[in-house]
Amino acid sequence: MKLTTVWLNGLWDRNPGLIQLLGLCPLLGVSNTIDKAIGLGLATLFVLVMSNASISLIRHLVDEAIRLPSFVLVISALTTSAELLMQAFHYPLYQSLGIFVPLIVTNCLILGRAESLARREPLLISTMDGLAQGLGFFFVLVSLGAIREWVSDIIILATLPAGAFIILGMLVALHQVIQKLLKRFRSNTKSDSKRRRVRTTGEIS
Amino acid sequence: MTFRLALFGLIASSLVGVIYVITEPMIIESKEDARNKRLYSIAEPFLGEVKIGTPINKVLANDAPVSLNNPLPVTPINNGKLQIGAVVPFRALDGYSGTIELLLALDTERRILGVRAIDYEETLGLGDKIDVQKTDWILQFNGLRYVDLSPTAWAVTKDGGQFDSFTGATITPRAVVGALAETLAYFETYPEIVGSGK
Repeated sequence: MKLTTVWLNGLWDRNPGLIQLLGLCPLLGVSNTIDKAIGLGLATLFVLVMSNASISLIRHLVDEAIRLPSFVLVISALTTSAELLMQAFHYPLYQSLGIFVPLIVTNCLILGRAESLARREPLLISTMDGLAQGLGFFFVLVSLGAIREWVSDIIILATLPAGAFIILGMLVALHQVIQKLLKRFRSNTKSDSKRRRVRTTGEIS
Repeated sequence: MTFRLALFGLIASSLVGVIYVITEPMIIESKEDARNKRLYSIAEPFLGEVKIGTPINKVLANDAPVSLNNPLPVTPINNGKLQIGAVVPFRALDGYSGTIELLLALDTERRILGVRAIDYEETLGLGDKIDVQKTDWILQFNGLRYVDLSPTAWAVTKDGGQFDSFTGATITPRAVVGALAETLAYFETYPEIVGSGK
């Protein structure tokens, strides 16, 4: 697996927030202000990078029977550490995030990456994947937070969970439109080159 | 394999343990900081040479309103040895979504120095306008004494009082004004609780 694919997947092609739709609970729960979104985005990024790295390191030591318990153990230890560090260094943020900090442990994005990638790939790829996926999630969370905070003065609905769903839906739709345009653009250039090649071979023969 | 899992558990819990030992004093300090910051923000007019003391629990008489805890933790604000004011917590039980926890700072003449909502579940964008971070609504109490207004004026305009409520949310400001009036009236009867004479 190439590093460029890892980065493209995390940030765009298989973005956790817009394509895989993983981690919806924090995505909708703490995106009402940009501060909270940044705080939880960073905490999730930290746990994801560390968990991908540690799971990649122990990947040869676990078999089928103890795989899941080991992964959950790693993730929960890291989440508790993140919780303690946040309380020590930024207590007001910890207070405003509330239950969503310990809930990082149940964010399916983290166990999802452990199961689908980190348990097979070497340390560098796994760490980079954690960083890419985490940043992909971070950007979606922060955009959602920014849009909701910005719109909330005009439309009260934006501050409510229903508004979060609607705005997330719009972001997903926007992503699909851009993806479609990109695909059309790519296939156009591809078919152009194909036609040219056919002509060349025709002339030679 | 069982042994390995136990080993992972041991490593993971020692990691958490080490971080806990390192961060524990910092966490205690941050909690204290957060409490002091709230108290300072409410006691702003005093800031400069004054000091916020440690809270003292005071047992209230039986006719204490439901808006006050019994015993009530009263935090004195001191200038040197002289007490020049106090901060007390109070709450409005009938908010739109449950209890609203507030802080009230009074000077020795029981003039309001500040009121702050510190913990509430009111609707975002509507009831949360009682938070000073959202609007200045709660600052309109500053400088008032209970005796400055007639008892009926301590209500929202909709109920014939003199304090505005927000469009779309009457219950929240009504609850806050009601609890505040109750609390202030009680301290007029028992001024010694907040450290001031009759």
